[in-house]
Amino acid sequence: MKYASLKKADLFEWLEHLKKKAKLYAPRKKENLFVLRPVKNVEDVCLEYIPTILPPKKYYFPQKEKLFKFSAQPFKTGKAIDKFEEFVLFGVHTCDIAGIQCMDVAFRDGPEDPNYLNRKDKMAIVGIECLKYCDKYANCTSMGNHVPRGGYDLMMVDIGDKFIIHINSEKGEKLVTDLGYIKEAAQADMDLLDRAREAKKKVFKEEFTGPLSKVYDVFDKSFASDIWKDVGKRCVACGNCTAVCPTCYCFDVADEMELNLDDGVRYRIWNSCQMDDFAKVAGGEDFRKGRDSRQRHRYYRKFKYPVDRFNRYFCTGCGRCTRTCMAQINLVETVNSLLNEKGIVE
Amino acid sequence: MLEREILLEKMKTSPYKPMHGKIIHAEMLTEKEKFFRIQLEGTINLSAQPGQFVMVSIFGYGEAPISVCSSPSDKGYFELTVRNAGILTNKLQRLGKGDMVGIRGPFGNGFPIDNMFGYDVMIVAGGLGIVPLRSLIRYIMFHRNDFGNVQILLGCKTPKELLFEEETKDWMRRAEIKFNCTVDKGDPDWKGNVGLITTLIPNVDINPMRTYGVVVGPPIMYKFVIVKLLEKKIPEHQIIVSLERRMKCGLGKCGHCQIEGAYVCQSGPVFNYAQLKNFKGECHEKAA
Amino acid sequence: MKKQPKPKLAFFDFTDCEGCQLQFANLGNALLELTELVDIVSFREIMSEGTDDYDIAFIEGSITTDNDVLRIKKIREKAKVLVTLGACATIAGVNGIKNRSSLEAAKRIVYGDKAGIINSIKAMPVHEVVKVDYVINGCPVYIPEVISVVKCLLMGKPYVVPNYPVCVECKMNENVCRYEKDQECLGPVTRAGCNSWCVNNGNRCYGCRGLVDKPASDAAKDILQKYGLKAEDILNSFTLYNDSMGEKYDQEFK
Repeated sequence: MKYASLKKADLFEWLEHLKKKAKLYAPRKKENLFVLRPVKNVEDVCLEYIPTILPPKKYYFPQKEKLFKFSAQPFKTGKAIDKFEEFVLFGVHTCDIAGIQCMDVAFRDGPEDPNYLNRKDKMAIVGIECLKYCDKYANCTSMGNHVPRGGYDLMMVDIGDKFIIHINSEKGEKLVTDLGYIKEAAQADMDLLDRAREAKKKVFKEEFTGPLSKVYDVFDKSFASDIWKDVGKRCVACGNCTAVCPTCYCFDVADEMELNLDDGVRYRIWNSCQMDDFAKVAGGEDFRKGRDSRQRHRYYRKFKYPVDRFNRYFCTGCGRCTRTCMAQINLVETVNSLLNEKGIVE
Repeated sequence: MLEREILLEKMKTSPYKPMHGKIIHAEMLTEKEKFFRIQLEGTINLSAQPGQFVMVSIFGYGEAPISVCSSPSDKGYFELTVRNAGILTNKLQRLGKGDMVGIRGPFGNGFPIDNMFGYDVMIVAGGLGIVPLRSLIRYIMFHRNDFGNVQILLGCKTPKELLFEEETKDWMRRAEIKFNCTVDKGDPDWKGNVGLITTLIPNVDINPMRTYGVVVGPPIMYKFVIVKLLEKKIPEHQIIVSLERRMKCGLGKCGHCQIEGAYVCQSGPVFNYAQLKNFKGECHEKAA
Repeated sequence: MKKQPKPKLAFFDFTDCEGCQLQFANLGNALLELTELVDIVSFREIMSEGTDDYDIAFIEGSITTDNDVLRIKKIREKAKVLVTLGACATIAGVNGIKNRSSLEAAKRIVYGDKAGIINSIKAMPVHEVVKVDYVINGCPVYIPEVISVVKCLLMGKPYVVPNYPVCVECKMNENVCRYEKDQECLGPVTRAGCNSWCVNNGNRCYGCRGLVDKPASDAAKDILQKYGLKAEDILNSFTLYNDSMGEKYDQEFK
């Protein structure tokens, strides 16, 4: 079976089934926004949502993750890797799946990061394709992530009273087989899928004023641009943009002692290149001074450096950094003004 | 299994978990710098190449990158020299013989020794820069016939801050290397040169195409020394530097040490000037 | 840890509400564990007797009288380690509001015709009078941070108060930004370390931990514009805890 169909009326039943098979995480409402949470009541799962406050990375690259236990006196180190449980990320947008692909590349690049890879092994991804824009902040079309491009186990598309489910892996197949309410998709359903995709082309338009290859070229030439000064001047250095970014993975390492002052745990904790002391050495020298150069660094880590290193853009187009920025630093505007500055307007 | 394989195997199961290292010798070299000789569990050799570094842990106080200052030819142990500068190094200085530390590594790219065979070597060390360079100097001493002429220029602020006093005296006495030392500010007992290290370079006689210039020191020193070496017509890829950056993982992941697209912990800390020059900004060590 | 004689810990309060000491008293199990490591020799809220023999002094409250100055200097002479506990002691906190008016005017407002016989000086954080070894920010102090500081103190290592804003921790806790709810939250300019305690519980940040070193002043107008807020609203919020350094903040935001 390559494509299956599920009646919307049977969605909750399927969720109940998945909940029994593994730990299930899905989007739900939090005040006026959305978050991924463990599913308690399947009725809370919300599949029409704008990108969650934090991307799914919190489940495979947690905010604070144990590296190993130690004892200072006597000097001992404990087992490094925990056993993780199987989990399903349900209802993931295609932009966030692109984010997961980026993180895979970064953490698989040698030396490999076993903490990340071990968690990732236990994960199954059930995606959902967006048929309309979440809001005005996204730039998924320019990044090519408004459509599924692999990296998932199952992908759902809403075709009215049903979901079409693309089965993309053995792991995914196991989540849909032997269930009476999930059937092989009929030709009529497939036609509806084609029609949905066709309609989508009219809705999603490239957000950047130039093609992605030009964006790369412009970044290559814009290191000294005054645009960074303007961005830096507005930046509050709150680190929101990097925390919510599905492809930001900088971290700090810290020890936490128990009150006996002998035993403790070494953690890694999310950190951000936007923090004042991020590149400062013990002697006091700061190797990335100024919010302008830090903001520039963030952008270059999306549009230039990873392209050189991994042949992959690390911006997914989810729009989170713009959505969360209190100072209105807008990714699409920044990229377009760089394009404009270099005379690239379509 | 080869020692290198044992180290790699350890890295694979968890690159974050340190090996156990025992301090077998420790002494203060100056008021601020302390010297440590460390033995790894099972007395396996660290086999660090000159210019590589390790991450040193003291549980409860954290971890910091420290240059190895011994040569791979020193077997059964390795050596570090540490300035009291942060929380970790402050605690490290309070440790002594018999105390345990965690060690990860060795990390990074060392000095390009294979390329330097047969070439003349001019070593320029400023302040703490002598620490990683001591590793290279010791290596050269052990394999003296593999290199051409060797000269060492050493500079620091005052005679009191001079590191490895006994060894530098030995270098001075040796016929097979030229050794010159200068201080920014002398004291009544000081009989050597006074002045910035850049003043020593014009007098040095070299065949530039056959010479590697290896420079390690504070960021400000690079700017001026590299200019002098370029004036001497040493090719850019034969001018070698080592950079200090904040580091948390040593694995090219945590992001702290990044200079533009490069992770200093992986593609550095040693770079040649042709590479350094390619950085667009953010690199304080670049010659003007 | 090598077993050494337990250091003696004493609490002192100046101009404050004793709420931070109450947080300490509420440490629960951790307080019992703590007594394995230190001897608490003077703590008015949980014990009746006190002593003048101590190694570690925890100071709550601002310095507001000449007598306070003398007293804190004496404590500093005796204590090997001096720790300030809470906003009043670390940034003068609410007491700092007094410094907005002239001393005479402030005394008149509070004491009326008795103003002449009352001794009062400008409200000061402890570090303006004596050297402070460790600071614990907050109103009240955040228990997990108190424990972290005590551990650092016993290990003889400095406690580094984060120099990034509360937003960093708040975002990690995946809170909905208070600005989304039209509240003038002080998180973007306030020092973290509290794990965004207030926002996690549905409140906003009041800036009780003091400002980060380099608050972004230019950015403020973007924020105000995006959320349709007035500069006065933000300034009013600031004055609650950060008035003792009011002029500096006025400059940042005007």
